[in-house]
Amino acid sequence: MTSAGKMFDAVMHLLDRQVLDVDKMPVTVVDDVELSDIPSGRIPPGTPAPVITNLLAGSVLGTRMFGGRPPSSRLNRIRWRHVAELGTALRLNIRGDQLDVLWTERWVRNRIIGRIPGGRHDPE
Amino acid sequence: MSGKGSGSLADQATGKSSANLSILGVALGILTAIGGFVDIGDLVTNAVVGSRFGLSLVWVTVLGVVGICIFAQISGRVAAVSGRATFEIIRERLGPRASLLNLLASFFINLMTLTAEVGGVALALQLASSVHYLAWVPVAGFAVWLVVWRVKFKILENVTGLLGLTLIVFAVCLFLLNPDWNHLFNQATRPAVPEGEAPATYWYYAVALFGAAMTPYEVFFFSSGAVEEKWTVKDLSQSRLNVLVGFPLGGFLSVAIAACAAVVLLPAGIGVTSLSQVVLPVAEAGGKLALAFVIVGVLAATFGAALETTLSSGYTLSQFFGWSWGKFRRPVRAARFHLVMILCLLVGMGVLATGVDPIKVTEYSVVFSAVALPLTYIPILIVANDPDYMGRHVNGRLLNFTALVFMVIILLAALAAIPLMLLSGAGA
Repeated sequence: MTSAGKMFDAVMHLLDRQVLDVDKMPVTVVDDVELSDIPSGRIPPGTPAPVITNLLAGSVLGTRMFGGRPPSSRLNRIRWRHVAELGTALRLNIRGDQLDVLWTERWVRNRIIGRIPGGRHDPE
Repeated sequence: MSGKGSGSLADQATGKSSANLSILGVALGILTAIGGFVDIGDLVTNAVVGSRFGLSLVWVTVLGVVGICIFAQISGRVAAVSGRATFEIIRERLGPRASLLNLLASFFINLMTLTAEVGGVALALQLASSVHYLAWVPVAGFAVWLVVWRVKFKILENVTGLLGLTLIVFAVCLFLLNPDWNHLFNQATRPAVPEGEAPATYWYYAVALFGAAMTPYEVFFFSSGAVEEKWTVKDLSQSRLNVLVGFPLGGFLSVAIAACAAVVLLPAGIGVTSLSQVVLPVAEAGGKLALAFVIVGVLAATFGAALETTLSSGYTLSQFFGWSWGKFRRPVRAARFHLVMILCLLVGMGVLATGVDPIKVTEYSVVFSAVALPLTYIPILIVANDPDYMGRHVNGRLLNFTALVFMVIILLAALAAIPLMLLSGAGA
């Protein structure tokens, strides 16, 4: 993803970093990453190295801290191809509104904050 | 605490900054930094200390002011250069487990401070109205929420900061009291444990005073505020000036509060257990007019700090989880951030509704603040030295040396706080 093959350390430069969408709206923090399948057993020579397929967020933070693994269907994923830039934050090339990760934000917005008078206006 | 780059207020007015307007901006920034420095923790702790130890703990206030100057400046620079606020950095540097523990501790202590500040607003309103403070708690909580909900960041910061300047009445009244200056000066320059006080109690209040001056929420608020106001490297010299001039003058107000208590309350043997005793020396020296001023000042200082702690509760949690936050966004664009602040205010009001003494909450909050100081300050210091974040704006050698010396003091204060609390019976 970084064009000139710049080295980066997934633990240092990816995990626990802020993710911003294309409009610089915060989306989440990188709670974990998902790698492409690693073949089990003896790995024959010439097998391509695993690559990062998705950024993960949400409940996976709990299992990252305390061990275990949630069922694959329960993971909130952000596709790696949507990552546009890697800096002091990760920039996506899409709008965060579409992402499953933000369902709690949408829920709180639609059910609570949006219903309080003034919630949809700029501060004065 | 406040006093960020208020210079841009003047800039906004004209669209361009001319020489004298930016002087106005600098003055405004410094004035809000002075007025915003004092909160309920400073008011109560300084008065308690003054009434029991005279000025023999002034050295701690000086130490605390130097410390907050150093770290406010560092955290502001980190936020301006990297665009990342304090808790984003804590999460990233400490990893999920350690930073979660850090979050729980910081969030809890901030909630305690928030409760104390809302209680302080209610107590100030009680002083002004003679209506019991418990009746004012819902009013105070609602008012804080309304401002956080609807008022622009810059306005809330400047208005409370400027009104807080009326606390200068403490310094004026100190002159009116016509004290024995030599005696005060000797107390301040030759600190000793007064007769009848145990050394453990003296040191317990030293830690409390240090915690009051360096409260962690100030750093959360300062760095998040830098992001709110979209600071860049260009704003750093203005902010440095606000901090380096404003905070020491704010510290001077703290000393004036302690000195008033030392002159009036100490000889009379009055211990401070309520807000009315904090302002008693002012009423004695300056009468009704001075009392009116000091009530406005206390109200502004506690209300301003209530806003800052409320915002800090939202900032810390949102930054840990990577939620959208900030007052520069509409509430619907930072929904969870606003929900957290509403819930925290409700919890604070609920705690006060049990009838717990807000002054006691304040006294404990400053001591626990001292315990939590390293949690905030160590990660900031690490990142301020990381070229990945800071490029060529990493800390210089002299600053690092001073900051490291302070790290040792902060660690000592944090480690000593709880043992001293037990040894001294919480300063009884």
